[in-house]
Amino acid sequence: MSESWSEGGPGQTPLPYPVYVDIVTKRYFDGVDNKHMDKVLDCFTPDAILTEVTSNTVHKGREAIRAMFVKLFSDFESIWHGNFVHTADPEANAICSQFTVLITPNGGEELRYENCNRFYLKDRLFHRVYVYMSGDNLLKEGDV
Amino acid sequence: MQYEPTLSRADLIDFALNKYFARVDAKDMDAVLDCFHDTALFCVQTAFTRHSGKSEIARMFEDFFASYKTIIHRDFTCTVDEANGRITACFTAELHDHEGQVTLLENTNFWRLRPGPDGAKFQEVYVYMSGANPLV
Repeated sequence: MSESWSEGGPGQTPLPYPVYVDIVTKRYFDGVDNKHMDKVLDCFTPDAILTEVTSNTVHKGREAIRAMFVKLFSDFESIWHGNFVHTADPEANAICSQFTVLITPNGGEELRYENCNRFYLKDRLFHRVYVYMSGDNLLKEGDV
Repeated sequence: MQYEPTLSRADLIDFALNKYFARVDAKDMDAVLDCFHDTALFCVQTAFTRHSGKSEIARMFEDFFASYKTIIHRDFTCTVDEANGRITACFTAELHDHEGQVTLLENTNFWRLRPGPDGAKFQEVYVYMSGANPLV
């Protein structure tokens, strides 16, 4: 499948509907909000790519994604994702999610974002992720 | 679910791509507006812009159609939640203005369809843009 994989393309093996919602909310964003790095990275394939579309920032591979989260976890004292509405598609092995982000820089005022992510899975893990933000990009490059 | 799902996967894709976007590109205002309930909400989340009700949505499209000589939406990837009447698509928006300038955007739309007496239509539309918002 790896040779012919494409985002939402044919040849995917559908997972049960709740798996898509659970990996986004109970595994990925719960890991982000609690700054649990291993839980976050376990959601990604080793060669996953995460793109912040509104600033065209691209993080290639799990180590670049790790570096990005090291910086995010260090720069912000609290992070919360909620108010989710999902478009979950087992046939395409993909899920797109809308949500609110409440995030507070160290010593600063809380910021509110209305964001969306598109997650395309390869087997059971995120292989391509696209993030749109309603404000300045928070997912900046870290030190790899 | 927010709204009872009534359309199949194929019908949701047909509604979003053919009944809606193909008619946007044709600047066919009546056909475009027929995709929306009277009380529909159209939000550009990346610009905190909200158009509430069909008359505000019509005004938005009037200005959008007038601003660009040619409007092309292409290269769609659809994600379909048939069980909940929701569909998401990412696509390229290619906008040619009257001076020959071309704007390319890599956008994502989320549509929530609600059934009604004339069939399921858009009740909520959320747009996330990669650049400046032309839907003002």
